[in-house]
Amino acid sequence: MNPKRILIAVDASANSERAVAYVGDILCHAREAEILLFCLSKTPDRDLFPDDATWQASARKQDAEYKEFLARARGSLEQRGVDAGCIETRLVPFTGFSVAQGILGAQRDGGYGTIVVGRRGMSKEEEFLFGSVSSRVVHHARNCAVWVVE
Amino acid sequence: MAEDVRQLIERMWPESGISRYGRVFHDTSEFMDIGHGDVMALGGLHYLVIRDESERRFGMEDPKYWVKRCHVLETGEKRIVKLVFYETFNATVGRFQFPCYRSPIKEARILDLVREDPRFMHGFSLEDSQGNNVRVLEYVQGRRLDLQVEAMEVDHETYFRERFPAILAGYIDACEAILFLHEHGEKHGDIRRDHLYVERGTGRYRWIDFDYAFDLRENPFGWDLFGLGNILAFLVGKGEHTPLSIAEQGLAEHIRVPLDQDDFGIIFGNRLFNLKKLFPYIPERLNRVVLHFAQGANVFYETVDELLTDLRPCLAELGAIPEQAQGGEA
Repeated sequence: MNPKRILIAVDASANSERAVAYVGDILCHAREAEILLFCLSKTPDRDLFPDDATWQASARKQDAEYKEFLARARGSLEQRGVDAGCIETRLVPFTGFSVAQGILGAQRDGGYGTIVVGRRGMSKEEEFLFGSVSSRVVHHARNCAVWVVE
Repeated sequence: MAEDVRQLIERMWPESGISRYGRVFHDTSEFMDIGHGDVMALGGLHYLVIRDESERRFGMEDPKYWVKRCHVLETGEKRIVKLVFYETFNATVGRFQFPCYRSPIKEARILDLVREDPRFMHGFSLEDSQGNNVRVLEYVQGRRLDLQVEAMEVDHETYFRERFPAILAGYIDACEAILFLHEHGEKHGDIRRDHLYVERGTGRYRWIDFDYAFDLRENPFGWDLFGLGNILAFLVGKGEHTPLSIAEQGLAEHIRVPLDQDDFGIIFGNRLFNLKKLFPYIPERLNRVVLHFAQGANVFYETVDELLTDLRPCLAELGAIPEQAQGGEA
C-alpha cells in the first residue's frame, strides 16, 4: 500500500469539510500525493417515503448535494496549494448496509495507503444506537493508516 | 345498486347483533371515517368493522384509527385490517430523538417473506379501489411474553432455575427469527416487549407489528439489537430493576458489590443490566451477554448473529435445551 495514495471519505457534512481542510493543510507541498475525494451516495431507504416520486426526488437532491460538496472540497484543496492534478473526485452509488465497509472496499480496491475520515465526536450512547462510520473504519481497516479528524 | 351494509349483514351474519349499519367502503383512504358497523369491501371479501384497535402504553389507551378489528362476513373469521397511514414522527429513546416512519409497504413485504414462518404473525396485503396498500392480519392467539413472565408467582431464583431455561430457548428462537429478517435485508423496526407473543397451544414465540422504519444508516440493525437487549435483560431479571424498585422490593440487602453507573443500561440509565449483582447465581457467561447493553460496555453487538453466538452456549450451560420453548400459560 502506498501511504501517499490518500482516500478522503466525505459525505457533505461539516466533519468532512474539516477532514478535507486538514489534508489540504498537511499536504499542500506534497506534489507526489494522490488524493481521492470519495463519496458514497447511499440510496435513501424506499420505506421512508410514501411513494416513488418523493423517494426519487430525495435521492436526486442528495446526489446534487454530494456533487456540489465534492466540487467545493476540490476547490478547498487547491486553495490550500494542492496540485489540481493530484486530486480526483468520485461519487459512487451505494446500496450496501455499511458505509464504512464501502469505504474500506474502495481503499482495498484502489490500493490506498491512507484513509481520512471526519468525526463529529459521538457519545457512547449515540454510537450504540446510530453507529459511527469513523469508528467502524478504525476497527476494520487493515494494511493502511487511518486519520480521524475531529 | 350495490348492497348496503344492512343487506350484507342480514344475508351473511344475521346474528351479529351490531348496533349500527354504516356504509360500504371500497376506498379506505379516509380511515378516520370508517368505524363500527361499516364494511370494507376488499379483495372480494367484506370486512365488517367492529372497532378501532388501540394500544395500552404507560397506562394510557392509545387509539390506532388506521387499524380496524374486523369480522369477515364470508368466512366468519376475525381479522385485523391495517390501512395506509403514512406517519413520520420523532421517536424518543432515552435522551435521543430521531425520525421514525410508518411504512405499509415494508410491513407488506415482510408479511410475504414470513408467510410460512411460524415465528411471526401472518397476513397478506392487497390494494383497495384507490391502490392503497391494506394489510389483513390474523390474530396471534396467545399472550404477551412479558406479561406471562411477570405473572409467574415464584421468586427469582426458582424462576431462573426452573422456568428461565425454556424461556431462553424461546428467546433464542425469536432472535433467530430476527436474524432471518436481517439476512433478507429487512428489519423488524419495533422490537419491544409487547410485540413478542407466546402462542397458545404451541408455545411458540411470535413477533408482531413490522411497519416501523428508521434511517439508522451506519447501524441498520442496531435498533433491533437494542430492542433484543432490553427484552433479554427483562427475561433474565424477571422484570425491570431500577434503584427504586430494588429498594421497594427489599432486594438491596442481596447486593454484595455496590452498583455503579456502568451496571445500568446504556440508553435507559436507570435499568439495571448487571443483574448478577442482584442475583449472584446468574452465570457469568450469560451476564456478560446482557452487559453488552450496559453503560460499561466497550464493545457492542453489530449483528444478531454475534448476539446468538454468545447466547447459545449460555443455554447449554443452563443445562436445558428443550425441543421447543415451553409456552404454557403461567
